[in-house]
Amino acid sequence: MSKIEIRNLTVDYTEKKKSFTALKNVSFSIEEGEFVSVIGSSGCGKSTLLSILEGINTPTDGEILINGEPVTGTGTDRGVVFQHYSLFPWMTARKNVAFGIKQVNKSAGRAERLKVADEFLEKVGLEDFKNKYPSQLSGGMQQRVAIARALAMDTEILLMDEPFGAIDAKNRTILQELLLKLWEGDGSSARKTVVFVTHDIDEAIFLSDKIVMMTANPGRVYREISVPFDRPRNRKELVQTREYNKFRNELLALFYSDIASKIGGEEVVL
Amino acid sequence: MDIQTNAVAAPAIKPDKKIKAEFLRRYLRVVHALFAVLLLIQLLPDQLTTDTCASYVIWFAVGVEVFTLIVSALIKKPASLNLFVDIVAFIYGLLIAWILATAKFNVLKPALFPPPGKVFQQFIEDYDKIITNVFSSVGIILQGYLLALVVAVPLGLFLGWSARLGSAATYISKFLGAIPPIVYIPYGIALLPTFRSVSVFVIFLATFWPVLSGTMSGVMNVEKKTIDSAKVLNVNKFTMLFSVILPASLQQIFIGCNQGLTVSFVLLTSAEMIGAQSGLGYYIKNYSDFGDYTRTIVGLIVVGIVIVFISFIFNRIQKYLLRWKQ
Repeated sequence: MSKIEIRNLTVDYTEKKKSFTALKNVSFSIEEGEFVSVIGSSGCGKSTLLSILEGINTPTDGEILINGEPVTGTGTDRGVVFQHYSLFPWMTARKNVAFGIKQVNKSAGRAERLKVADEFLEKVGLEDFKNKYPSQLSGGMQQRVAIARALAMDTEILLMDEPFGAIDAKNRTILQELLLKLWEGDGSSARKTVVFVTHDIDEAIFLSDKIVMMTANPGRVYREISVPFDRPRNRKELVQTREYNKFRNELLALFYSDIASKIGGEEVVL
Repeated sequence: MDIQTNAVAAPAIKPDKKIKAEFLRRYLRVVHALFAVLLLIQLLPDQLTTDTCASYVIWFAVGVEVFTLIVSALIKKPASLNLFVDIVAFIYGLLIAWILATAKFNVLKPALFPPPGKVFQQFIEDYDKIITNVFSSVGIILQGYLLALVVAVPLGLFLGWSARLGSAATYISKFLGAIPPIVYIPYGIALLPTFRSVSVFVIFLATFWPVLSGTMSGVMNVEKKTIDSAKVLNVNKFTMLFSVILPASLQQIFIGCNQGLTVSFVLLTSAEMIGAQSGLGYYIKNYSDFGDYTRTIVGLIVVGIVIVFISFIFNRIQKYLLRWKQ
């Protein structure tokens, strides 16, 4: 049995009496401990898909099974990192993390929650910023706190909706490496199952075991591609190999061929 | 205040110059010239035949001046110093104009406009009575105001939360909030046992509607993304309302609280003028009925001071609770 099974998911939105199909018959599955990226151009429904996985949106048709059980709403088995607004601005970094822990672990006392929060903030390199409010932190630091919270909640599944989409290029690579390091761990505990939405192909290749490429109008799965590179991955070494560049070019070709066929011309400026 | 901008604009000047500039910024100000003017106009002959009690004004001004110098030496932020000094300058200016218009040139009716010295003298004479009345009034305000907050904020959270899904609560609260609370006074007198409880009731209503509608609109304006990020953390309904929605709408709630506070002060005096046997409103009303305008002015000044003091504390609380906002 797969960890997550997405079956014939269809989502229709009705706005001003016009109906719009965001997702049509989307099906794929994710194994336990697998890192899966969902990529696609904007409007392909990748964020809609994730919102159903999160439990804050319901499908028109089809279902998602987690451990064989259908998803009916939000759950303590899933931790979420959004692109923005994951953190509560009125709580310090530390309180934000501790608040997340409190929701999944009711038995932990205040002191214990704060201790675990400090531990995870240290893991993301923010031990000196734990008493700062989100407004006092940079975008990258805020996402580190959000990741620390999701990890500290110790859920089986991590859902990430373009978490580095608003971060500058240099910090994005740093955060990708940090995420990968924390996810790979030291082998002492099982890896979490991750669903990572992005529109950045390099990010998807570097992080994932599998890439699900989606296409728009209506949103559906275009290709599922396994990423053949061994872990732990070293970005500098990886990008220099011929295999990497070949793989990347194939992916780009797939990505653009889809867009070109949609627009119906050869000369696509991207 | 020009001196201060100079000091900021030229940080590279020599240390001794810097110290001098800092000294001038702190102590060379218009406010001290006003103090001198205030003392100098005492030398003019009085036009008023009755005793003007000028020594009270002088002692008061000297006290304020000493206090100003101490504050000037201790205060750290230039902005706070400016604010403080401007307030003192306003007080001096007002006193100068007042003294000139009454004691010195006698252009106003002395019965309605007593010279400031008289007012200070009366204040000291009535000090005990005034303090009792201040406590009585502030007690009523606090009781009515806090009661309104305790009821209106949770109710606003629940109604606002259900109003996000669309409900009549918004319009009902707008309708009821538009009725001036003063019209409730006769109903209060008919229904409630004491005049004091009527006053509390009026303050309660005056605060209740603005706080309720402030809270409701705050809740309705909380971003969906904030609510989603709480939902994915699996918060229960109670946590959602009090740990997420409440702080997220705090700024709007404070707008309502501020409105309520302003209306409360206006209404307190009105409420106390009806049948009360204590309080600042009673004090003012009672003496103006007897034509004692010295005491009426004392009462008005005390009301003003109390309002400023409470607003100051209120702002402090607001700043502290919203410290996470930039």
